Amino acid sequence: MPPNKPYSFVTYKTTEESKKAYATLNGQNIVNDLGQKIILYLNFVEKAQWKELGLQALPPGLKVVEEIISSEDEKLLLESVSWTEDTDNPNFQKSLKHRRVKHFGYEFHYENNNVHKDKPLPGGLPDICDSMLEKWLKEGFIRHKPDQLTVNQYEPGQGIPAHIDTHSAFEDEIISLSLGSEIIMDFKHPDGVTVPVMLPLRSLLVMTGESRYLWTHGITPRKFDTVQASKGHKSGIITGDVGDLTLSKRGIRTSFTFRKVRQTPCDCSYPLVCDSQMKEPPPSFPESDKEASQLEQKYVHQVYEEIAGHFSSTRHTPWPHIVEFLKALPSGSLVADVGCGNGKYLGINKELYMIGCDRSQNLVDICREKQYQAFVCDALSVPVRSGSCDACISIAVIHHFATAERRMAALQEIARLLRSGGKALIYVWAMEQEYQKKKSKYLRENKSNQGRQEISSDPSAQELFVEPVPDTGHQDSACSIPSINDFQKGRYHSREVANSMLPIHTNRTSFHSQDLLVPWHLKGNASKEKPTEPFGPAGTHDTGPVLHRYYHVFCEGELEAACQTLNNVSILQSYYDQGNWCVILQKA
Amino acid sequence: MKLLTHNLLSSHVRGVGPRGFPLRLQATEVRVIPVEFNPDFVARMIPKVEWAALLEAADHLRLAEVPKGPIQGYEQDETFLRKMHHVLLEVEVVEGTLQCPESGRVFPITRGIPNMLLNEEETET
Repeated sequence: MPPNKPYSFVTYKTTEESKKAYATLNGQNIVNDLGQKIILYLNFVEKAQWKELGLQALPPGLKVVEEIISSEDEKLLLESVSWTEDTDNPNFQKSLKHRRVKHFGYEFHYENNNVHKDKPLPGGLPDICDSMLEKWLKEGFIRHKPDQLTVNQYEPGQGIPAHIDTHSAFEDEIISLSLGSEIIMDFKHPDGVTVPVMLPLRSLLVMTGESRYLWTHGITPRKFDTVQASKGHKSGIITGDVGDLTLSKRGIRTSFTFRKVRQTPCDCSYPLVCDSQMKEPPPSFPESDKEASQLEQKYVHQVYEEIAGHFSSTRHTPWPHIVEFLKALPSGSLVADVGCGNGKYLGINKELYMIGCDRSQNLVDICREKQYQAFVCDALSVPVRSGSCDACISIAVIHHFATAERRMAALQEIARLLRSGGKALIYVWAMEQEYQKKKSKYLRENKSNQGRQEISSDPSAQELFVEPVPDTGHQDSACSIPSINDFQKGRYHSREVANSMLPIHTNRTSFHSQDLLVPWHLKGNASKEKPTEPFGPAGTHDTGPVLHRYYHVFCEGELEAACQTLNNVSILQSYYDQGNWCVILQKA
Repeated sequence: MKLLTHNLLSSHVRGVGPRGFPLRLQATEVRVIPVEFNPDFVARMIPKVEWAALLEAADHLRLAEVPKGPIQGYEQDETFLRKMHHVLLEVEVVEGTLQCPESGRVFPITRGIPNMLLNEEETET
């Protein structure tokens, strides 16, 4: 069962009733209100457990003021915004399949998530807002008078991806009035904690400090929110008290978000996420091949060059299945190790002639010290004759490429090197670090890992659940298995919020995103390091430099699907090994 | 870099394709590093060798006694196999260059490591 997806559980009084329900409903086609075809998938589980969330607090600096305006005022405000097409009006922004947006005071630009500070919009804020803001200032709900307004209208099913409002664009206090419908807004801390906050009708959300500068906020595009039945429509955090949860159908929600445009650079206490204080913009999901190459240069190649020695010292234990693959190859085989790193596998089987290549000069130097044959090159362009290799291995390499197209190209290169009948073994890091009830070594070596497994299910009944993919580019969905068409068309994800940032992963915890940066705590004195495999030391008291490596972790089936689009190979074997998805291919 | 490795390398400069093989070898420092003779292993290599390329490279290194091609019954011919063992596996180019025969692009060999990295304009798309 893919993680981070919503599931419903139903219990029946008798086994017969449950069997009947399964037989009747599983695989049924239904049509939802948007006319989308949905298929119902049911599955039996042995038990449904859930993690107790424990006491959660609102993100620091966050408050929700309830019933801040009357129903009459709500009506007036909603009527004051005209959504009709008015291309002369500079405030107007055409709605896409996403939420509708309108700006006052200053225009907000989604390409760089900033405002045009020298070009205020004529008219300023609507009069009705002005008097409201004055009132709130006097009553102490807000401390600063905003000069920019963005009105967002969300139809049920629409949302906004998780983001932090650009530091350099707006001052500390950001306030948002909710009209028309209540909604759940998700706040996420970089450590991975998510807090779902209920925003009732006619309430004012006030974000300051940490909640404004460090936590991201977003709205999941869906038609129903999970809320606390006992709390009614009051504000607060939705907790994990399963017995109290119920669904609330969304209506059309209009938000009035007021902000004060910043005229001086931001000097907050969160430099890691601050565009004013960072010399360069924080790394974001690449939108082109060039951006992908630049991202890889900075967050893969440069990093490995710097950590080569330390990295090599933590990579000494060959993995059994890979050794098995190499030892099973016929004597005298020519084998290429694409992305050989420190040459861990180059000397495993003396009956083979192995050549290693890696993008990192420093890592290849280490191979050379061990007397192996190795050279420096890029995995997208391996300077070896086509069809000259009896076998190839590529272990923990392809997950460093930042677009699906580049990952495909790397696979194509490997296939090209193989002679007819030659085999390749490919390993990539898996999104699913817990599989078939077992945690991978990567997770297990985290001493602070508490909490039980969320949901356990019968491994023999594992099935892939497929949801209709909403067209709002939902950033939170854990895994989407691209169809064969996606690979061939070379599709990039379209993002509502331009340049969505790459999250930074907390080592030795589960993954919440497929594209992310993984920290490496560099230690000079490698010999003191407790050797840990396979992905970095667990160090918690590090004062040394932290470098970040880019990864795209693969979902179940994703590597297979990519290999299937290669027309000259067939998949011999596909398996999961200690937190990795693995494939053995054979060239036609 | 051994000559068997050289035999596999091919230029991947954009547009060059199979005309990028073999790379023209020049060496300023060559070492002979003894490797344990395994006749079975060498015999299995023979069918995989591109002979013209091997001869050209051996010539540039001014190696003597290089067989011109596989002889009949080579699998059992120890003399032949030992010569091939030496040429393919014991001669190491430590410093030198590899040149693409089609584009002229030069790749350096330093401390026995060829650096085959291309810059953006040169890579095949």
